[in-house]
Amino acid sequence: MKYKDYYAALDVPIGADLAQIKKAYRKLARLHHPDVSKAPDAEVRFKEAAEAYATLKDPEKRAAYDELGRRPPGEEFSAPPQWRQDHASQYTGFDNTEFADLLASLGRRQEGSARGTLPRHGQDYETSAHVSLEDAHQGTTVSLDLNDEEGTKTLQVTIPPGVTEGQKLRLRGKGGKGQQGAVDGDIYLHIKLAPHAVLRPDGHDLYFELALTPWEAALGTDVEVPTLDGPVVLTVPAGTRSGRKLRLRERGLSNSHGGRGHLYATVRIDVPGTLTERERDLFGQLAQASDFNPRAAKTKENDHVPTAI
Amino acid sequence: MYPPPFEVTWLDTRETVSLAELSRVCGMSQDELVELVEYGALAPVELNPQGGNFSAVCIVPLRTVCKLRVDFDLDVFTVAVLMGYLDRIDELERQLRSLRATGSDQRGQAQHVEGDTP
Repeated sequence: MKYKDYYAALDVPIGADLAQIKKAYRKLARLHHPDVSKAPDAEVRFKEAAEAYATLKDPEKRAAYDELGRRPPGEEFSAPPQWRQDHASQYTGFDNTEFADLLASLGRRQEGSARGTLPRHGQDYETSAHVSLEDAHQGTTVSLDLNDEEGTKTLQVTIPPGVTEGQKLRLRGKGGKGQQGAVDGDIYLHIKLAPHAVLRPDGHDLYFELALTPWEAALGTDVEVPTLDGPVVLTVPAGTRSGRKLRLRERGLSNSHGGRGHLYATVRIDVPGTLTERERDLFGQLAQASDFNPRAAKTKENDHVPTAI
Repeated sequence: MYPPPFEVTWLDTRETVSLAELSRVCGMSQDELVELVEYGALAPVELNPQGGNFSAVCIVPLRTVCKLRVDFDLDVFTVAVLMGYLDRIDELERQLRSLRATGSDQRGQAQHVEGDTP
């Protein structure tokens, strides 16, 4: 096994007290934690510090570590027979193990739970499943690849209808195997919804933008709109303003209670980028004939003042 | 050949877990969880002599905060404070997703751009 210099890893002197060690570790954890640092080696550096801290913060482990003496980091070595007898007599096979595992095993032994003698809860896993809106609506089956001590295993998991973005699901007992009669671990599945070309989910409701011409919005019209069940005809009432939301009741995502969310069409009124002579003429006539003033109407609505300025 | 697929448990308000189960799945002792309850960071949905039952909603946030507790060597009170902030981040992210979905934030941006156009 290769020697590791835990004091150097935490950048503390050999005689450092627990407060110094804790402070040094927290400083490094704050610097290298993968949630904080975006550096490519952040996770490795964080784990190095955590491994060193796990030993140096524990007086008995630290004493056992100190007894090994100091060596150049990375040097191959084998723990002396007396040291094995004093500290790791119940731990077998440590010639082929990692340094960190050896030190970690001391803690288990000190707690009276040497490897393989006391029940140990199976390992839990956390993973994500990306599902389409259609699959979230109807339910689906996904394959999960999980890496554990025994290698990679693939699980087929049924995602029930009604999941939403950020939904958490638990697969009880499908994680790592428990030891000595302890329960198996669980899998925690985080649902992420894949972006849809048109529809945007908000819980079980769905939204999409409905572009209308000015005359469609003013006069009203029937337009074909997309839903998860295929296209349907939506009646746009006359006088529909931009930004108005038109609801298609229970056309959203199914929920897990047997119902469905709603589908909302958010109206956006568009105008032609360029006008033909005829269009320009007609818009001109409309401008002459109409006394509609959207600024006045908006002020009236927003300020709740009956008489516009 | 894959084994047949199996069903899953929803971690939402319909499911509850006992104090002992919560302790097992999040890696904190029952005493520490009771301390979180005393700090107001965690609330049982029903009380019983075994320490109460908790909404399954709290399982994943508790697992997250317990991982951070180990990573940063935090005490239980700091964990309680952290839970409040993580909950707030979750709620703000949910609101942001909602605003993006409903187009409310886009409309705000469009008004800003139009207002800046000479």
